[in-house]
Amino acid sequence: MNLRRVQAVALKEWRETVRDRMFLLLAFLLPVLWLLVFGYGLVIDVEQIPVAAVDYDRSELSRDYLSRFMHSRYFDFRGHLNSEREVDALLQTAHLRAAVIIPEHFARRLQEGKTVSVQTLLDGTFPLYTDIAKGYIIALNNTFSEKLVSEYLSRTSGLSLEEARRRAQPVRLEVRYLYNEEIRGTWSQVPALVMFALMVASPLLTALGIVREKESGSLYNIYSSTVTRVEFLTGKLATYLAIASVNVVVLWAMAVWLFQVPFKGNFGLFFLASVLFVMVGTGIGLLVSLLVRTQMAALVVTMVVSMVPTFLFSGLLVPVSSMSRGAQVQAHLFPAMYYTNILRGSFLKGVGLEVLWLDVLALVIFAVALRLWGYWLFTKRPRA
Amino acid sequence: MRRIDHHHGHVARWLRRLWVMTWKELLQLSRDLPLLLFLLYSFTLSVYVSASGITMQLRNAAVLVHDADHSLLSRELIHRFHQPYFQVLREIPDADEGMRELDRGHAMAVLDIPPRFHEALRAGEPVAVQLQVDTTNAAQGLSAAAYAGRIVAGFGADTAAGQLVSTLPTVLSEHRVWFNADQNETWFQSITHILRMVTLFAILLPAAALVREKERGTVEQLLVSPLSPLQIMLSKVLSMTAVILAATGVAYYGVIQPAFGVPMRGSAVLFFVLTGVYVVTSAGFGLLAATVTRNQAQVGMLTLLGIAPMLLLSGISAPFEVMPLWVQRLMSLSPLRYYIDITTAILLKGAGMDLLWRPVLTMTALGAAVFGLGIWRFRHQSE
Repeated sequence: MNLRRVQAVALKEWRETVRDRMFLLLAFLLPVLWLLVFGYGLVIDVEQIPVAAVDYDRSELSRDYLSRFMHSRYFDFRGHLNSEREVDALLQTAHLRAAVIIPEHFARRLQEGKTVSVQTLLDGTFPLYTDIAKGYIIALNNTFSEKLVSEYLSRTSGLSLEEARRRAQPVRLEVRYLYNEEIRGTWSQVPALVMFALMVASPLLTALGIVREKESGSLYNIYSSTVTRVEFLTGKLATYLAIASVNVVVLWAMAVWLFQVPFKGNFGLFFLASVLFVMVGTGIGLLVSLLVRTQMAALVVTMVVSMVPTFLFSGLLVPVSSMSRGAQVQAHLFPAMYYTNILRGSFLKGVGLEVLWLDVLALVIFAVALRLWGYWLFTKRPRA
Repeated sequence: MRRIDHHHGHVARWLRRLWVMTWKELLQLSRDLPLLLFLLYSFTLSVYVSASGITMQLRNAAVLVHDADHSLLSRELIHRFHQPYFQVLREIPDADEGMRELDRGHAMAVLDIPPRFHEALRAGEPVAVQLQVDTTNAAQGLSAAAYAGRIVAGFGADTAAGQLVSTLPTVLSEHRVWFNADQNETWFQSITHILRMVTLFAILLPAAALVREKERGTVEQLLVSPLSPLQIMLSKVLSMTAVILAATGVAYYGVIQPAFGVPMRGSAVLFFVLTGVYVVTSAGFGLLAATVTRNQAQVGMLTLLGIAPMLLLSGISAPFEVMPLWVQRLMSLSPLRYYIDITTAILLKGAGMDLLWRPVLTMTALGAAVFGLGIWRFRHQSE
């Protein structure tokens, strides 16, 4: 490997990139803009579920029960309906996600110490949402019941209200939230978004850079020059590596200062892992660029290959441990998951190499394997 | 009479030219084998894997148990932590080990049962059990805590009921889930995955096709030909729309209907017509991007800038209603935001145009506006 030739290729690539103002601007701007938009915008704490009620009882107790929906920040109470039939159309157009139906004799049965079933109609199109809404309603019913039971017990058996409450619910669950004590959505999202921003941009930059030469024919200059395969690939990727390394630092600074995410780990490890990850990303781009012929194909393939697994199989939105076996296998086949582990570990958990070594090793293997594969596919003697 | 004939001939010629150009685009696409193979993969295998494997609900959260009591009641409580929400991995001898496993990410929660748990409960004393939850993924952590809370409350109520007499005045929850009765997340994931793919291809293919002509200079040839800018742009959109519609058909009838039983409760014709409208609308965005860029690398970066927010914030990756207001306002510009409602309404809810006219109208208006802007810019540039 001749360093001067590597430098020459890198310089040529650098000039070409710098002179394309719009491309250069987007290469630096894209990750930053994404982190801003998603960091502030991608909120997945479910609150303000639109709900309505059909109250067949119209008693004081049923109003008291419904007032809990009105005062909860988890629900957005949209008002009373006259019959279940009205619920139908509103659920169909997604104006409501849930409706509560209070049966007749709701108050009377409860005062007699009997159980009452309150029916909830839920829109099942977005199952996660449905599940969460169901959970909130059950929790609301539980607290309401607890109050009724303790009042009932103190009334019938003469216990104090405090004692009655303890009898009704003898076990308490104390929850300690670890790593993200205030359970802020941004704290868990932002580190993963750093991964997303890096993962999607770097393969695209690389793939287009190489296919562009293929398509326009300027790659033939390389074929006929003295530059070897290794020198060409090294020089070519150096530019993108440089751009991405700057982005890593910028994204880190934004996460820490703008989003106030604590960084408890080791910056050296974080930076090294990030550079490794970017190398994996450029490796993917390289591979795609060698397998396709047109920039159009390169564009579509890198975007689908880098974007879709990155938010489905990385743990960004969906935890890997909840996936089916097949999907878990797929998650392990993409580098995004390992880097997300490293990021969350470095930012929130404050763990080092002693815990994360396996993830780092996986990234090393990816980087090397992709490079070797690319090297093997890239040939200066094109077929046909 | 002759004038009408003349006029008729004019329209026929216009349409014939459009058809020739559209055919050229289809031919060009059919010769890009890697791209075609990838298209096929995206609408078949990729849909299958994501739909069958991805769930955003809490599933199989790994729990470690530190049981300092080893009694009948403590075991009974542990047994209640079961699938689908939790899976108890094993018991651990001390609390430090739990912390280490949480650090490594091998477990999501540690349940800590104090000594004298059984004794205290039988004596009617209040007891507390502790749960340590990993909240590096906040939503999942909260979800796990909520489920654990329900399990412990249920356990407490049952233990109490065993000691107390008669029935108690409690409000029970009886749920009826509509449109997707067993809350089959496969349906949701498979539908949204198709929407994701449709969006990506609908924006990228026409945009890249137009910029390619600009980059290679063949657009100059097209402009001196008898083709109008409208015909040039329309031919790219029509050809790609046809391809994407066919791929959507394959994904629905070839994968998600036979494999997962995703229903088509509304009209299939309506669904495909509206999918066509959606593809054209999204393509308008791609073409607009193509008019402001000069090469494919630029158009790639620019569309990427728009596609990622569309995919993440339009309500297919996270519920739309919970997003901040400014995101909801911003996303009213995203056609995907309307298309997701339209798709779930037709497929799962069996809705027709009478209920859907509003999103359909908004989406169409959006498409027309974007398309108009694109044509205007393209014409402006080509002069």
